[in-house]
Amino acid sequence: MKFFISIITTTLLFSGSLLAGSHAKTIMLSTKGPGAGNPFWASVEAGAKDAAEEFGVNLIILSPPQESDVMAQVAQIEDQIAKGVDGIAIAPTDPNAVAPILDDAMASGVPVVYIDTNGINEGVTFIGTNNINGAALAAQYICDNVPSGSDVAILQGMITQTTGQHRAEGSSKGLKACGMNVVAELPANWDTAQGMSVTEDIITGNPNLKAIFASNDNMGLGAIQALKNADMLDDVVVVGFDANPDAAASVMAGEMSATIAQFSYNMGYMGVENALKLANGESIPDNIDTGTVLVTKENAADFM
Amino acid sequence: MDHGEKRLMDKNQETLFVRLIPFFERYGILLLILIMIAVLHLLQPDVFLSWRNVTNIFKQVSWQSMLALGVFMVIVTAGIDLSVGSIIMLSLMGLAIASKAGMPWYVVMLVAPAIGFLCGMFNGIGITLLRMPHPFIMTLGTLYIFRGIGNLISGGVPITGFAEQIRVIGNGKIKLDAFFGEGAREYIPTSLILMIVIFFIFWVFLNHTRIGKWIYAIGGNPGAARAAGINVDRILIVVYTLCGFLAGIGGLILAGRTNSAYPNAGLQSELDAIAAVIIGGASFFGGRGTVLGVFAGVMIMGILRNGLNLMNVSVFWQQVLIGSIIILAVYIDVLRRQLATRT
Repeated sequence: MKFFISIITTTLLFSGSLLAGSHAKTIMLSTKGPGAGNPFWASVEAGAKDAAEEFGVNLIILSPPQESDVMAQVAQIEDQIAKGVDGIAIAPTDPNAVAPILDDAMASGVPVVYIDTNGINEGVTFIGTNNINGAALAAQYICDNVPSGSDVAILQGMITQTTGQHRAEGSSKGLKACGMNVVAELPANWDTAQGMSVTEDIITGNPNLKAIFASNDNMGLGAIQALKNADMLDDVVVVGFDANPDAAASVMAGEMSATIAQFSYNMGYMGVENALKLANGESIPDNIDTGTVLVTKENAADFM
Repeated sequence: MDHGEKRLMDKNQETLFVRLIPFFERYGILLLILIMIAVLHLLQPDVFLSWRNVTNIFKQVSWQSMLALGVFMVIVTAGIDLSVGSIIMLSLMGLAIASKAGMPWYVVMLVAPAIGFLCGMFNGIGITLLRMPHPFIMTLGTLYIFRGIGNLISGGVPITGFAEQIRVIGNGKIKLDAFFGEGAREYIPTSLILMIVIFFIFWVFLNHTRIGKWIYAIGGNPGAARAAGINVDRILIVVYTLCGFLAGIGGLILAGRTNSAYPNAGLQSELDAIAAVIIGGASFFGGRGTVLGVFAGVMIMGILRNGLNLMNVSVFWQQVLIGSIIILAVYIDVLRRQLATRT
């Protein structure tokens, strides 16, 4: 009898130490593009790495070469499930197209959280910016700095994506609520060159334009270029979104008036933290806001 | 050893070498695949050859292999088709709209290949009837046109949610309970079966039918083919139509895999298809290449990507490596041909 008890206790001890000590969980971070060359994803990766170090997680970072390469992201997730990850934090390139593979992941016991962009799989927690609130913050800045009733325009992102839709919605509502005359709401697909050409078209038709909200900084920088060429930059307030280093520099130089910072670092950090919680069988809330903050000349230096 | 003896020895070595050339020409590429498999197995012993991972590779290459096979036939005629990535997207969108309109699943399934067929025929007719100076131009035009139409009919937004029957092609699993016992997790993807069947059909078509032989003849020497009484234009239309049709099948597979028709579907995948064909040993000047080679080219790219994903290698390196393999594969081919002409 004693013999059996000792065997059982040693087995328990052994398996216990295996679970607690040597078997660190492996979490996969899948972003929309490599951090090299994109400061936004670089800071998501930095947050994820810090969380991984703090919680003792094996972190695997894989991303498709560009956001449009949806099937590359699907293949990477598929391959990592085969390899045996314990949890996935993903910024879906196309929420609909990656949905089946994420369902597969969850069916084989691998928990998933979305970061940055919300997906469509049911019961999956979204960890990211509340873009409606963020865009409303930008609209508020325009309302505070431009006389009521002025002509204003909105450069929308890819309107097929929820991020694009939410920023369009938040800004449009906010600007109309304070009595602005919204003369144009046009998509420029997150792209600097398109932001520039769309702005050129807008100012041709609306010479009295007083403010532009660009749904991301790249389009905002394009808008600034167009306004500069038309000698209108002094009269027009441009507010971007994302607070990327180029935009922060532009705010410091007095060209862009303000931008909205997302805490991309938090997305990586909280993504890994919460994927780990799920992997350990804990439960987490459905929505985790990573927050936004207005960036003006006063605090822009922090974002360069 | 006198000169005569030495020459004899050289000659013996040479003949052995010459005898090996056709062997390498036919199976060298398979040797490369075996080496890749061996290396990846050593690097990832628990994962790479696991059932799940191997089926993953086949699922990942299934839709691209359809594009590659179509582009291969076009390249054999010394042409090019840049529009296949857009055809896949347009056929996917057409399928999604038919599905949303409530058409029965067996009709919806036919929509994608049918759209592909029509797009391909449009390319073929344009190239021959409009006498475009090069297929590059016609299909570059339709690359934009087809994706534009796809965005127009869908409004540029993804359309999600297809019937299970439609998804079977791209997502179906053939259970292997009979071999592995009840409730086994091992399965064969339907898309793999489809891929094998289609590659076999096209192998027969290209090697054992008159039209197939004409396709090679056109690429080898169009003037001679015309002189021999082959209706070159008609064959070209057939080739481009089949290429579009295969892209449509690719769209059907993708519909199953993603359960979604999305605006970026197939973006730049024409380049992957061309790369696979070139790695597989087809000549850009037409007339040369095999269906087996295309299959090998597709597998090499699929295995490489999968292996690098398993080892968590950045996609930037994947791009560099795939580009290097294209150049290396063609360079080996150049060397081989040089040796072959010298002897």
